[in-house]
Amino acid sequence: MLARIGLYSRPLCRSVFRNGTAFSAVRGISTVKTTYEHEQELLIAQRKNRPCSPHLTIYTPQITMILSSLHRITGVAMGGAFYAVTIAYAATSILNIPFDSNTLVSYFTELPVTLQYGVKAAMAYPFFFHFGNGLRHLLWDTGKELTIKGVYRTGYIVSAVSVALATYWTFF
Amino acid sequence: MLSLNRSIGLNAMRSSNVIRPVFVRSFIKTIPQPPGHIVGDVNDAYVPPPPSKSHGSLHWTAERVVAVGMVPLAVAPLISGTSTLIDSTFSALLLYHVYAGFQSCIIDYIPKRVYGIYHKLVMYLLALGTGVAGYGVYQVETKEGGFAPIITKIFKA
Repeated sequence: MLARIGLYSRPLCRSVFRNGTAFSAVRGISTVKTTYEHEQELLIAQRKNRPCSPHLTIYTPQITMILSSLHRITGVAMGGAFYAVTIAYAATSILNIPFDSNTLVSYFTELPVTLQYGVKAAMAYPFFFHFGNGLRHLLWDTGKELTIKGVYRTGYIVSAVSVALATYWTFF
Repeated sequence: MLSLNRSIGLNAMRSSNVIRPVFVRSFIKTIPQPPGHIVGDVNDAYVPPPPSKSHGSLHWTAERVVAVGMVPLAVAPLISGTSTLIDSTFSALLLYHVYAGFQSCIIDYIPKRVYGIYHKLVMYLLALGTGVAGYGVYQVETKEGGFAPIITKIFKA
């Protein structure tokens, strides 16, 4: 059984050379009767010994994977904020709770100035990054810049431009 | 040795615990996966999923069309100012964009293969939330004249 699937080939070789005459006509191969179910069990037993693929922490961080993760993280964060605001408007309208942009602005103006810049930055940086990287994705979808060089070049351009624009919109 | 096993991914149980947060492990019963995450035997033929008009290339094209359409609508308020028409068109496209994005996240992180019924449940919850958010978009557009005015107010406050 094991010999059949090549896991146990040494005794087989030895038996061939045992008498000192190479390639003797008599070979010590014994066959084992097996069933489909038994083979399946063996296959599953082998699968249990397989290593599972390594997770993210094994890789050296590279701009490709960092920008890719940031694209999803910024997208989910901004999408979540969009849903939070719209659902707040829907819920307060149904429940007749007074809520409008003046409420939001008054929350904002009560914050200390550094936190106000923090809030602005938390809106501007994800927006410009996701927007720029989205354009990069649309460029890839046309089949352009799909090389290692192109991916790095566009990655650096998007990072620089989005940081510059977000800094401008946050602080100036 | 344990840490070495973990770092090269030999310890299957441990690595799946890292991926699955504690609260998920303690409250939600996930489907135990077969060894090697392989179903069936080596001779099983590939069974393609049933054809669906809303999946595949049409879905892909729809997402790109929406994303391309959002580009000028997102730039316009930054350069020249906005109108309720621009803002409500952008919001409608954005709602679909976010919905599709969240769907992709659910497919990736709450897969049917592991979470079974919960996958469908979260998908329905997302659809419900998107419906409510759609009503909220209507409220924002009629009450405030759009999202751009709200964001402008905050940035100029």
